[in-house]
Amino acid sequence: MSDRNSDVGGIPIEEVVVEAQEALRDRSQTRVPDKNWVKVLDHFKREWQIYAMLLPTLIWFVVFLYKPMYGLQIAFKDYSIFRGVAGSPWIGWEHFETLFTNDQFLRAVRNTIYISALNLLFGFPAPIILALMFNEVMHATYKRTAQTIVYLPHFISSVIIAGIVITAFSPSAGIVNTFISWLGFEPIYFLTQPEWFRPIFVGTGIWQEAGFGSIVFLAAIAGVNPSLYESAVVDGANRWQMMWKITIPSILPTILIMLIIRIGNVMEVSFELVILLYQPSTYETADVVNTWVYRQGLQSGQYDLAAAAGLFNAVVAFVLVMTANTLSRRFSRTSLW
Amino acid sequence: MSGVNLSGIVKAYGALQVVHGIDLNVAEKEFVVLVGPSGCGKSTTLRMIAGLEEITDGDLMIDGRRMNRVAPKDRDVAMVFQNYALYPHLNVAENMAFGLRIRKMPKDQIKTTIDDVAEILGLTPYLDRRPADLSGGQRQRVAMGRAIVRHPKVFLFDEPLSNLDAKLRTQMRAEIKRLHNRLGVTSVYVTHDQVEAMTLADRIVVMNDGRIEQIGTPMELFNNPANTFVAGFLGSPPMNQMKGVLTETGAKIGNTELRLHGAINGHQGRDVIVGVRPEHVTLAESEGTTALPINLDLVEPLGSEALLHAHHGEDNLVFKADTNGDINHLYGVGTVHVPAHLIKLFDAETGRALNLGA
Repeated sequence: MSDRNSDVGGIPIEEVVVEAQEALRDRSQTRVPDKNWVKVLDHFKREWQIYAMLLPTLIWFVVFLYKPMYGLQIAFKDYSIFRGVAGSPWIGWEHFETLFTNDQFLRAVRNTIYISALNLLFGFPAPIILALMFNEVMHATYKRTAQTIVYLPHFISSVIIAGIVITAFSPSAGIVNTFISWLGFEPIYFLTQPEWFRPIFVGTGIWQEAGFGSIVFLAAIAGVNPSLYESAVVDGANRWQMMWKITIPSILPTILIMLIIRIGNVMEVSFELVILLYQPSTYETADVVNTWVYRQGLQSGQYDLAAAAGLFNAVVAFVLVMTANTLSRRFSRTSLW
Repeated sequence: MSGVNLSGIVKAYGALQVVHGIDLNVAEKEFVVLVGPSGCGKSTTLRMIAGLEEITDGDLMIDGRRMNRVAPKDRDVAMVFQNYALYPHLNVAENMAFGLRIRKMPKDQIKTTIDDVAEILGLTPYLDRRPADLSGGQRQRVAMGRAIVRHPKVFLFDEPLSNLDAKLRTQMRAEIKRLHNRLGVTSVYVTHDQVEAMTLADRIVVMNDGRIEQIGTPMELFNNPANTFVAGFLGSPPMNQMKGVLTETGAKIGNTELRLHGAINGHQGRDVIVGVRPEHVTLAESEGTTALPINLDLVEPLGSEALLHAHHGEDNLVFKADTNGDINHLYGVGTVHVPAHLIKLFDAETGRALNLGA
């Protein structure tokens, strides 16, 4: 008696499968090639789960990044909330002319560039140095503890961070001024003096983000082929030489990519931290484009002028990121696209 | 004397011991190959010689000096790694000069050395290229060049050809052999490929499970394996091993008795493993051979010869036979003839080779 599952009409099932496969192969060889739309449809049918997972991100981009672009046109209009975006009359470059003759705006642009340059100079290398230092720590528990401590500020709200900074630099009870007084000097009113705003702001940014930012570079370091180090050890390199001659050159592509991204954000100085730390007495050095836009747009109701300033910001950032990417591709074969 | 001497070398990771007391003397200018299956401890042993792994116990001497606590850079060894370990951001010349720059050799001397070695290895046209722009064989040569420029006392090779395709591997194998003959530097070479071991080595060290199974010249190991492991590891295909019992005149395997060469008096009834190399059998009967009936399963043509996959009782066997340009006559093979003097006997319990007064 034959097993019903092992044959088809008395023919062993293996033979039936082989014949079916051959028939399919023959048919596919003689078939007319599918049209493009059929191929696309087939592709979507086959891979729909991947596109379903992509959908939330696409929706986010459309709602929060592409749809607001429609509103950018008010930078060229005499916008009124009663007439709406479409109903407001076009006025050409008038807002931009106003911006570039406005001393406060020009000061905000200068401050933004100055603070960004400081951030780039001190804030960008900080996570790299931190990652290189972590990489040299051999004691696992000590390394983990130190990493947790430096990652922590990233997860604290900027409001609390600003609170800590304000308290620490308080002229009456702040730890910094207590120390200064202990040394026999007069307390300094740090947060009301324009010359102190930038160092405090940049320092706070480093404290808050350097640890978390080091994760990317630690991951890049973890990807360096261990035999490069072993080979260097046999060649006689010490740890310092290995860091300079192997680790840093190996993570250079990651450093460049992060630098390009950072340059793209040059005009985006941490808006909320500035708002939380500055005050009218420090506007001279603290007022940046975003805070100026906030004051003009939301507090004074000049939405069209604020949109023009925002557009200017975006164009500058776009040009910078394009230039950085092109230079990086030309000189180091590394680029974002 | 730039020899390497390992005495009772042990490597343990915590409670786990992976190398169990290795004794090995590598003479000056000798090319010794450590061979064995994955995880047998051969790479660990090499890394202990290089100083990349700490030695748990035992003594390592290089050039007559105890090296257990000496830093890798001061051992005067150069190592070629399995994945070449070339610095991707440096070009060929800079890669080769790396160790010399670290040792602060004068620039003009570095250039002369690099040029000389590049000439030997045929790398002169590629000195400005980065590793990514080289083929596998060229990268391998750069890795060797980096070791050669140092003029070390000992070369250590850690499976340097395993990332190459079969054709390139054969070519590079010959180049390594030529280079060793030319430079005459003491070399320790690790591989799991027995063909590499047989073709390159002055002496082969067969390792298994953290221990040395046998040390000897390639032909010594091939002709007189110390145990069933070595017999099964060296040779392609490996030696056939069949369970048998000694009789007054030979070894009985199932219902077949294979005549043996030499006296086996007093060992009748002893359980043995009978070893027959695939290439030692003949299809035609001749003097001093015994017929071994087989059931042929498969014929694999290799060109001038073919592999006959067969079984005798429960033992799966592989034999080599000449094709003479045609394999059809091999499908009818039902018997092979085993020369008595080429049969190897091993103790069935310990697996050790038996020499019963032959």
